[in-house]
Amino acid sequence: MAEKLEDLNLPLTVVTRIVKEVLPDGVAISKEARTGLAKAASVFVLYVSSAATNIVKSNKKKTMTGQDVLEAIKDIEFDRFVEPLSEAFEQYKAHMIAKKSLAGKKKEETDEIEIIEDD
Amino acid sequence: MAAQNPRHDHHTTKPKDLHLPISRVKTIMKSSPDVDAVGPEPLYLVTKVTEMFVIDLAKRAFNSGKNNTLEYKHIADVVQEDDTLDFLREIMPRKITVRQFKELMAKKAAKGNKSDDDSSDQSSDSENESSGSSE
Repeated sequence: MAEKLEDLNLPLTVVTRIVKEVLPDGVAISKEARTGLAKAASVFVLYVSSAATNIVKSNKKKTMTGQDVLEAIKDIEFDRFVEPLSEAFEQYKAHMIAKKSLAGKKKEETDEIEIIEDD
Repeated sequence: MAAQNPRHDHHTTKPKDLHLPISRVKTIMKSSPDVDAVGPEPLYLVTKVTEMFVIDLAKRAFNSGKNNTLEYKHIADVVQEDDTLDFLREIMPRKITVRQFKELMAKKAAKGNKSDDDSSDQSSDSENESSGSSE
C-alpha cells in the first residue's frame, strides 16, 4: 500500500529521462511540463488498470491477465500501442521462460525445474 | 563477486526494456479499491504501455510547439484537442492569465443574464440559443 502520497506518482526523474531520450538533443523541457508528464503518466496507469478491471469483471473472472490489459488498451482507444506492445510482451514472455529454466538449472537437479506457475 | 553471477552474461536478467519502476506502477494500480492482486504480466504491460503513452504525449506536444522547448501549454493543448485524452483534462487544464479569466467571466456574465451558476456549460449554451432566437 502507498504510505506517502508521493508513492502514487511516478518518479519525475525517470519520466523526464524517458522523454528526453526520444526528443531531439538539447530540447529544454520546462519544470511544469515535466511534472505534467509525470502526472499524466500516473493517471494513465490508473486509467488503463480501471479499464482492464472492467474487462475482468465483465468476463466474470477474478484475476487480471495480460490479455485483459491488451483488450483494455483497445477499449480506451489506444489501439496504436497494441501492436508494439504485443511484440514487447512476446519478448518479455520468452525472456521470463528463459530466465526460469536458467534459474532452475542453476539450482541443479535438486528441485525439478518448475516452469511457469500459471498461464 | 559480480562474476559469480553468470546470469549477467546472458540477456536474461530483468527486462531491460522497462524504465519506469514496476514497484511504483504496482502501488498505483493497487491504490484502486477494485484491484487487489497484480500479476507480473499485467504489471509488465501496464508499465510498458505507460512508457509508450508518455513518449507519445511528449512527442506530440513537442511537435505542436515551436522552438526547441517543451512547455506545459503544449501538453495541455494536445490534451484538450484529443478526445482519447479526455481523462487528463481535469488534471491538465489550459492555463490562462488572470486578465483572460476576467474577460472570460465578463463575457459569460454578459451572455447568460440569468443564473448561470447552477447550470452547466451545455445548458447555458442552449439558453443562449433560445434567447438569441427570441431577439
